[in-house]
Amino acid sequence: MKAVGAVLVLGGGIAGIQASLDLADAGFKVYLMDKEPTIGGVMTQLDKTFPTNDCAMCILAPKLVGAGRHPNVELLTYTEIVELKGEEGDFTATLKRKARRIDPEKCTGCGDCARKCPVEAIDEYNMGMAKRSSAYIKYPQAVPLIATIDKSKCIGCGICAEVCKAEAVVYDEEDVTFELNIGSVILAPGFEAFDPSTLTEYGYGRYPNVVTSMEFERILSATGPYRGTVLRPSDGDLPKKVAFLQCIGSRDERVGNSYCSGVCCMYAMKEAVIAQEHNPGLEATIFFMDLRAFGKEFDDYYIRAEKEHGVRFIRSRVASTRQVPGSRDILLSYVEDGEVKEESFDIVVLSVGLNPPHDSAELSDAVGIELNRHGFAKTSLFKPLETSRPGVYVCGAFQGPKDIPDSVAQASGAAAKASKGIAQERGKLITKVEYPAEKDVAGVEPRVGVFVCHCGINIGGVVDVPDVVEYARTLPGVAYAEQNLYTCSQDTQDKIKENILEYDLNRVVVASCTPRTHEPLFRATLREAGLNEYLFEMANIRDQCSWVHMHQHEAATEKAKGLVRMAVAKARLLKPLEKPVIKTTPVALVIGGGLSGMTSALEIADQGYEVHLVEKAGELGGNLRHIKYVPTGENPEEELWKLVERVSGHPNIEVHLGTQLADAHGYIGNFESTLVSERGETVVNHGVAIIATGGVEYKPTEYLYGSEGVMTQFELEAKLHKGYKPDTVVMIQCVGSRCEERTYCSRVCCTGAVTNALRIKETNPDADIYVLYKDMRTYGFKEDYYREAADRGVIFIRYTDEDKPIVEEQGGLRVTVTDPVLREKVAIPADAVVLAAAILPSEDNAKLAGMFKVPLSKDGFFLEAHMKLRPLDFATDGVFLAGLAHGPKTLDECISQASGAAARALTILSQPTIEVDGAIAKVDEDRCSGCRMCEHVCEFNAIEMVEDEEGKVRSHVIPEVCKGCGVCVATCPSGAITAGHFTDTEILSQIITALQEVEA
Amino acid sequence: MSYEPKIVGFLCNWCSYAGADLAGVSRFQYPPNLRVIRVMCSGRVHPAHILEAFRNGADGVLVAGCHPPNDCHYISGNLKAKRRVAMLKKLMIQMGMDERRLRLEWVSAAEGEKFARVVTEFTNQLKEMGPASMKAMAVAEDD
Amino acid sequence: MTDFEPKIIGFLCNWCSYAGADLAGVSRIQYPTNLRIIRVMCSGRVDPALPLGFLAEGADGVMITGCHIGDCHYIDGNLHAKRKYGLLERLVAKAGLEPGRIMLDWVSASEGQRFADIVTGFTDQVRELGPNPAVTDPCVKLNLMAAKAAAAEYRLRALVGKEEKLVTEGNVYGEEMTQEEFDRIMEEVVETEFTRNKIRLILSVKPMSVKGLSAETGIDSRIILDHVVALRQRGWVDLHEVQGNSPVYRAMEVQ
Repeated sequence: MKAVGAVLVLGGGIAGIQASLDLADAGFKVYLMDKEPTIGGVMTQLDKTFPTNDCAMCILAPKLVGAGRHPNVELLTYTEIVELKGEEGDFTATLKRKARRIDPEKCTGCGDCARKCPVEAIDEYNMGMAKRSSAYIKYPQAVPLIATIDKSKCIGCGICAEVCKAEAVVYDEEDVTFELNIGSVILAPGFEAFDPSTLTEYGYGRYPNVVTSMEFERILSATGPYRGTVLRPSDGDLPKKVAFLQCIGSRDERVGNSYCSGVCCMYAMKEAVIAQEHNPGLEATIFFMDLRAFGKEFDDYYIRAEKEHGVRFIRSRVASTRQVPGSRDILLSYVEDGEVKEESFDIVVLSVGLNPPHDSAELSDAVGIELNRHGFAKTSLFKPLETSRPGVYVCGAFQGPKDIPDSVAQASGAAAKASKGIAQERGKLITKVEYPAEKDVAGVEPRVGVFVCHCGINIGGVVDVPDVVEYARTLPGVAYAEQNLYTCSQDTQDKIKENILEYDLNRVVVASCTPRTHEPLFRATLREAGLNEYLFEMANIRDQCSWVHMHQHEAATEKAKGLVRMAVAKARLLKPLEKPVIKTTPVALVIGGGLSGMTSALEIADQGYEVHLVEKAGELGGNLRHIKYVPTGENPEEELWKLVERVSGHPNIEVHLGTQLADAHGYIGNFESTLVSERGETVVNHGVAIIATGGVEYKPTEYLYGSEGVMTQFELEAKLHKGYKPDTVVMIQCVGSRCEERTYCSRVCCTGAVTNALRIKETNPDADIYVLYKDMRTYGFKEDYYREAADRGVIFIRYTDEDKPIVEEQGGLRVTVTDPVLREKVAIPADAVVLAAAILPSEDNAKLAGMFKVPLSKDGFFLEAHMKLRPLDFATDGVFLAGLAHGPKTLDECISQASGAAARALTILSQPTIEVDGAIAKVDEDRCSGCRMCEHVCEFNAIEMVEDEEGKVRSHVIPEVCKGCGVCVATCPSGAITAGHFTDTEILSQIITALQEVEA
Repeated sequence: MSYEPKIVGFLCNWCSYAGADLAGVSRFQYPPNLRVIRVMCSGRVHPAHILEAFRNGADGVLVAGCHPPNDCHYISGNLKAKRRVAMLKKLMIQMGMDERRLRLEWVSAAEGEKFARVVTEFTNQLKEMGPASMKAMAVAEDD
Repeated sequence: MTDFEPKIIGFLCNWCSYAGADLAGVSRIQYPTNLRIIRVMCSGRVDPALPLGFLAEGADGVMITGCHIGDCHYIDGNLHAKRKYGLLERLVAKAGLEPGRIMLDWVSASEGQRFADIVTGFTDQVRELGPNPAVTDPCVKLNLMAAKAAAAEYRLRALVGKEEKLVTEGNVYGEEMTQEEFDRIMEEVVETEFTRNKIRLILSVKPMSVKGLSAETGIDSRIILDHVVALRQRGWVDLHEVQGNSPVYRAMEVQ
């Protein structure tokens, strides 16, 4: 079979970006396509993210830039797919690149065209609440940072071409159709927010103070129309009362969306909390049906929102809204505790659900995949990442509504899937850049070249650039200085290289924009000219000078000179740095032989790498061995059996049963672990480790557990499997979960109860089944089974913490619970009382966490590197996690995470060596007193204490692990640590030159 | 000519420096008195750096990092910065310096406007306070 | 008001109309004394902001004369004058001033009599309209100042500067643009820029809330908020303080 070592990723949101980065890092060529002019997707529009309230742009921007400049990723923005021919391993995609009418090679992203464009159009980025021009850049951090002419709005006046100094405007550009040869395809087109204008009862579109949650995100955002202060759209006043209405376009068959969108409860709480933060004194009320805070630490957020922030929660579906004439306040009428109530609010936020993209039918036609009945990609429980067409995979919200971390985990999982069939082609289509040998600058007088950029008129219009160049020539160490129209343009790069050679320059300073986006470009230029890339420094005279002092020409020029002086001073001191190269052992250690561990092991082994799979028990399978029924109808026993057979027979997997980890040490690429079993000790060298140790079912102490007829859901399944046919069953949810001792939600139990209820109904349609719950959390498509159970007569009764059900034994089991509708106690005699027992973290977690120096969450599960964007990584490189070890989750979620963890691991395993940043800390061992303070402050465990021959303990930075933050440098009481590229001497030189007067 | 204070700002690369860039992209205007030194993390800033800035004639020093508790790119570097600045402020008081000359701010990558506001406020405040007296520093050095 | 004598400003192009006026004098052709002439090199020089400035300051009428189409000393300056006059008409209408207070006509160097007739006719017409309401009505004055500011801003100048080319030669895509299409776009932009400049002028006198601005201008507060968003984006307006529940905005000094 022919295979092509390239992957097409459709959709440049966070899922598409993550999949692309994982594939590119693992040695595959990636084409990342987006129909928008920039990648980034919906996340770029979000203000903060739950449950950590992280600023969305802060955490996303580095990934955007990473994807934008990855040598193996080619961005295909403003592009759509037309057709996908061929088969797994060898597809031909026909794509259409829409006319951007701006030459991406020439455009520098300066934004002059946008500022001079006389047309005003709706700004979609700000959800229509602000205006943009026809020639525009979607948002300031856009990648690629290139303008686009919106032809539908453009009047063709020609001004943008006149003002563009880079001559990048191409009015006669047309759409281009082209073909790509790829081995696999990943679909990550995301979702579209539900449009509530069809639901006339809420008045959206008619009442200005009824807004969608996406609009509210922009209202909250510091970069949004109101600069982060919440204002009433009707009159600009500060709102006092804001209501959130949940399930708008979700769990609503009238609009065709029977499913739960899964994210709205959390984002509504987040928006409520952040709104209060931005407008102190604001009162937020959330109207909901079930509060579905099912994710990791989500319930804690719920508790804090209610208890600390005073967010009011009202369990009611609001039927309609009315606008109060005059004030334009919004009057809500709803039913609470059987009473009809009315209350007026300043702003009503409609928590809109997640729809599949409006063009998902066209997309499915073009790529030849099936959609499910909701219009999302069709997948199955045990193959959550595979579409109906082999070789085409899916991740993110297009697979089903989900939040960012679940999307990111799936994205990595899809990357593993997409690379499996083309693994033998790894590294064949990527470009390896060869650089000339580096010039030795040790002991040579610094000869600094200074290049000052006009950036069209962006700098030159404010700062006297020729004057700055003249001034630069007077600075000590400067051997050459010149000005450029655009220093970042390709022809200037060639000029810089020529000048380096001609003037024998050994340091380069560019005074232009920000190093955050442009430093890599100039560093590459230095390498091409045979200079170490760290001999480069930037002076930010645009973003932090000309743009912020637009009307102070003289002062801005003086400041620009100061910034250049500082940069030159630092440049003279810069030292070449070596990028540490890590050799990697291409072996993985997977800890835990359940569904997650086996899945990870297979993904890695299938791509040709050796895996040690360690399982504490005497057999593989973990919790999957207890699962007999799934709502989707598959046979879990059969799936388990297939999996065990594949793992056991795989030539690349060595299974260690009845084995535990006794010790582990080392770092990314080079771990050494000791395995112990009855057979003795074995030492395994491995490059990565995946922790998939699972969880255990809580053994209840409540509700007469242990008595005849009282059982957990697992135990019920086992009995049903043996033909048990109870007539009256009472299921009690949240046993050991969402309680004081364990605040978290076990996530799977609501669906588990519904599944088992349906199973009982199948064999015994007349069985009476009661489910006593706090909130039914059948999120996503699982809502359909909840509805089916209700339709088939399963009775759902809500209970509260204050009034829990009582189980008694009086010649049989009897459950008493308060019926919230009748508001009286009902007693139910039951054959079986089934407890939805919590999922507990594995008791070995603490020991393992200590060995790998990774943290645990307050609930005892493993704590990932970042809850939003690094759900499968640890801060310690080379160690990953998946499945219940991370927190409670469903089978398909375990599989997605496990595949994802494998993909993350493969980015390391597939590289014989890894190059890491050279700007890291270094210890002068003669000055080290061995006090260990650096070791304590390092969050990355990059510092180890080493004993020398004389028995003195000294600190040593593991270069492969150090991230270069410099915290240890500032901590060391002996001044024994230096931070590469940010040494004390370098910083001091900047301080001193910053405070010098410029001599005229 | 009116008195123009000199300010040195240590900005962390991931949040505050990005916020300063965003202020530029959004054209939020602020006084030109600040000179920025980019560091990877606010936790990299050593008290000696701040004292050196004052000794060399800075009228004010700004340290800006990511919002606690979760925005820090290096997990907890910002918390270390917080402790160091608090400690240094105490020291400044002992040295007879006005501790308001040292300012710690959290500025995220999305807070361009806040960055501009912080610089404007700080500059105006320092203008009101007048030039920093170097005597205290000189005395401290002689000890 | 029979004794009312209007103050009239006339912009005359150097090569045709000014010469025509001179010829009227040489020929001793009599016309009313109300006109004060400002010589410009070309009628195309008459930026709408100039007549609007005079009107805001109390001139009762403004006339612009240039060379006949085809005769322009600068080839097509008078065509631009016509386009700019179109914008002037729109802005005068926005400001709520009678359209009869402005006029544009062509006078050649040989048309002394015609010049005198035009001046006489226009003077009568303006006398009939009575004094410029801007003198007594601050609302009209504010409107005229807003119109002037709008005319002086980049967006309207850019559009009007491109009008001749767009309407006669088509746009950069080679697409034709009818006068009606252009007028539709222009009308929308004029409305927007007029309102925004008005808001800015009001705020430069006194900081106000969105609701206050709505009461002052009679425009729906929702639309005012949209304009305030745009004005903040341009850096023309910023938050001043919060009074009660209402953020109050002020105009920024623009250099």
